Amino acid sequence: MRHFLVVTAFAALAAVVFGTVTRDSNRDRFIYGLKVFAEFMLIGLVLAWVLYFIPF
Amino acid sequence: MEVELKKVDTTHLESAPARAWLMGLAGWLVPGLGHLLQGKWGRALLLGGAVWVCFISGFMMGGHLFRFDASEQGISSLLQIPPMVGDLGSGLLYIVCWVKGVGFSHGPQQAALPTFEYGWTFLLVAGLLNYLSMLDAFDIAAGRKS
Repeated sequence: MRHFLVVTAFAALAAVVFGTVTRDSNRDRFIYGLKVFAEFMLIGLVLAWVLYFIPF
Repeated sequence: MEVELKKVDTTHLESAPARAWLMGLAGWLVPGLGHLLQGKWGRALLLGGAVWVCFISGFMMGGHLFRFDASEQGISSLLQIPPMVGDLGSGLLYIVCWVKGVGFSHGPQQAALPTFEYGWTFLLVAGLLNYLSMLDAFDIAAGRKS
């Protein structure tokens, strides 16, 4: 659970910065931020499961 | 053989005003200050807040900062440079820790923490995110962004 919370915090912080520095309107920034957050979470979870099955 | 010469758009190649460099420097030194000085309160809060939270969380998780240490043997010392450049993005936060000698070493207890690896990753990412924030402050001051 701790690891999941850390990944969530990491994704949220990165998404805030990535979303804020884009050029578009506020709505686009918000949507881009959500997209980045979802991508970080998804990639993190996929990697975690892939690494779980690798024995070394 | 014919060569087609196209006119290069030089609008973005013009030198940026000194103010833009100053805002970039301020944004690097203190996360969020570059935007704050330009009256961009929302951005300052979001960008600066994210970097500060990331940096402080990194320390709370037991992370450590990197620095170039010539005492390391061979290529080991060179391997410290890339993460040091990342950490250096935190500006004054890194410099103060460096001057005070805080956060660069870790004992076995700290290294045994389950969040130890996350900690230094957060510290590193705080610096990298601040580089993005700094460039944003520079672009706004240079008139390339609103």
